Amino acid sequence: MFFRLLFESFRRQKRRKSVAFLAIALGMSIATAMIAVAAGIGDKISQELRSTGANLVITPIEDTLDVNLGGINLKPASEGAFLAESELPKLKGIFWGHNIVGLAPFLSDRATFTKDGKSIDAELIGTYFEQSVRYGKESFTTGVRSVNRWWQVEGAWPQDYAEWPANTAPDVLAGSKLAQSFHISPGDQIEVAGKKLRVSGIVNTGGAEDQAVVAPLHIVQQILGRPNAVQRVAVSALTKPEDAFGRRDPNKMTPVMRDRWYCSPYANSIAFQIHEVLPNARVEQIRPIEQSQGKVLSSVSGLMLLLTLAALLGSVLAVSAAMAATILERRQEVGLMKSLGASNVSVASLFLTEAGLLALAGGVTGFMAGGALARYIGTSIFGSSITVHPVVLALIIFAALAVTFVGSAGAVRKAMQFDPAVVLRGDA
Amino acid sequence: MSRHHLFLRLLLKAAWVRKDRALTALVSIAVVATMATAALTVYSDLDSKLSQEFRGFGANIVVTKKQGSLTADELTRIDSLLKIRHLIVPVAYAIANGPYETRVVLGGTDIKAFRELNSASWAVRNSDYADTQVLLGSRAANAFANHGDPFTVSYGARETNLSPEIIFTSGTDDDSRVYLPLKEFTALTGVGPNTALVRAIARPQEIQAAIATLSTSLPELEVKPVRQFTETQTTVVGKTRSVVLVASGVIVTLIMLCMIATFTSSVLERRKDFAVMKALGASNKAVNFLFAAEAAMLALAGAAAGYIAGSAIAFWIGKANFEAAILPQPWLFVPVLLGSMLLALLASTAPLRLLQRIQPAGILRGE
Repeated sequence: MFFRLLFESFRRQKRRKSVAFLAIALGMSIATAMIAVAAGIGDKISQELRSTGANLVITPIEDTLDVNLGGINLKPASEGAFLAESELPKLKGIFWGHNIVGLAPFLSDRATFTKDGKSIDAELIGTYFEQSVRYGKESFTTGVRSVNRWWQVEGAWPQDYAEWPANTAPDVLAGSKLAQSFHISPGDQIEVAGKKLRVSGIVNTGGAEDQAVVAPLHIVQQILGRPNAVQRVAVSALTKPEDAFGRRDPNKMTPVMRDRWYCSPYANSIAFQIHEVLPNARVEQIRPIEQSQGKVLSSVSGLMLLLTLAALLGSVLAVSAAMAATILERRQEVGLMKSLGASNVSVASLFLTEAGLLALAGGVTGFMAGGALARYIGTSIFGSSITVHPVVLALIIFAALAVTFVGSAGAVRKAMQFDPAVVLRGDA
Repeated sequence: MSRHHLFLRLLLKAAWVRKDRALTALVSIAVVATMATAALTVYSDLDSKLSQEFRGFGANIVVTKKQGSLTADELTRIDSLLKIRHLIVPVAYAIANGPYETRVVLGGTDIKAFRELNSASWAVRNSDYADTQVLLGSRAANAFANHGDPFTVSYGARETNLSPEIIFTSGTDDDSRVYLPLKEFTALTGVGPNTALVRAIARPQEIQAAIATLSTSLPELEVKPVRQFTETQTTVVGKTRSVVLVASGVIVTLIMLCMIATFTSSVLERRKDFAVMKALGASNKAVNFLFAAEAAMLALAGAAAGYIAGSAIAFWIGKANFEAAILPQPWLFVPVLLGSMLLALLASTAPLRLLQRIQPAGILRGE
């Protein structure tokens, strides 16, 4: 009998049911889309923020002071210490190795360049452009092209040579200001220390590199006679914005707290882990970048979270109002059932079962529609899709059930409070 | 009873007698108005609020003089040409000799302004030396003054004694430098400031405009954005705005549909009212007008409540997330009100068309 009532209610009141279903599905798709966007936006904005460049820098511990002025390094390469390039793949082996998304080693010194019989002093900077690095069985590609994304090259990027090329001059980049004052254009040849280089492109960075020659690291190591040496490594790592806990000194923590600190991707804990694999290195946050990235990231995530809360509240109210509206109009049905001897419990269970079925169907439909919306938002704005975690489905179905029950319960109670005789006479 | 009286009575009684029905309709309109107001208010102020968060990057414009040092007059002109919130820090550099025959980059600057410029990013030791005159980079401090002892730096024949008070870590080249007040620096080295670091806190397009104004008005100076920071600000602010806009569009549209469904359904449920009125001789026009007036009344109340609630939500989002309230936008009230009325009218009169096709007698018989 119960099931028949239930079935017939759906069969005969298609319009009412579809309004309720539509309202639930719409409300739940808002919830799904917003939860997915709020959860995914951190990663997306984090990716965008990586265009500010590396957030950690590694230098040798026993290094002397840098004497950098206006982008010119006045400390000769003979002074100071070096890091071993061959040690760098170890960075991928640390606990948060997967969060190390890019690294760019640098080795530089003053050099005298000659072109068409004229000579000029400028910085020669060696780095990775798009070098493939192997760690164990994994290999990854890294270098300034992905780490320093604001570098613009007119012409072609050089390749990363493993050795000095046999028959041709290796490709390098000339800084835009140097190119202007020394009349270099792409395709020209320049000479340094008796070795020929071919300028494949002009680089514009807005920084010190504009007055320098930027060459593949292994070429610079050969020119300077320092195989395997690097002076500085810029590391781009995905980090968690620093909080009070992240700033604490790990040496003063209890073992449990230290584990928690070690296993959180704070810039400090990643720096600590890098120092563990490269004991002769000093690892420092590039604070203007790391601190601001964290600030911007938490600000954007916080904004989306609050908007999501507001949207959830809005959809809860909208769905509740819709459910209440459809049930309030059914007081005659309630009156009829009660006059035929139905108890309050059986009337309520019928209405709530209906609501539950609608919530399930609306929740699943809303979840799918919301997922599609989130994907659309991801691809249209960030060029990569935002995926909805399957756990959200459970959350959405639970929310749909809760919202429809809350929305209907009040209305059902209200409908049951009336005297059936009055309702049936139409006086209520 | 006059016609107007009867009309008013019908209107108010309908809402009063079926308070719950009126309430659900009111809630659905108010939710639409709230979400629309909150989303648009947040959106309208988002780029300037979010741009504030980029101040921690430090200077985003660098002004250098091609020849010689910046004069006080030039610094004042930069200051007066910048119409946006900004901080100008003149700096001068020289290479001096530190203890143990090391070379060190010495900087001369307005110490207070320079600290302010980097306040969001530096980790500072001994920051309680409020009126200190010397800033020491952490690597320079390790090299010269590990135990907090004073040390001497010399430039040519002149030298000066410095005591390490404030030591900062920034993770940049500054860590290897020592900064003095500009006056002392110039007395020691004879060098004046050649560079002005400018932190402009404004929307990305305002920063671009400011750079353009500076470059055209001061041709003898080179004005460059710190592209690394300005480009990131432009993309991040732009993309966040797009996300908020698209998400708001989705939320408002879906909640609107939800409201239309509720409204339409509740009008359809009133077909008996409709039939009784028609049977008593009301014209289609009169019935339409009555239903429309009801909807308009609800929409008015709903939109007003929604505007207030939405502005409150936006205000709170600003306070909670940006530490600065997002103020209500008065111009929004009219579009929100008109939009809500239009929606309510559409949602309540469209179903009447359906009912008009049916004979009132049929409805009253329960067919």
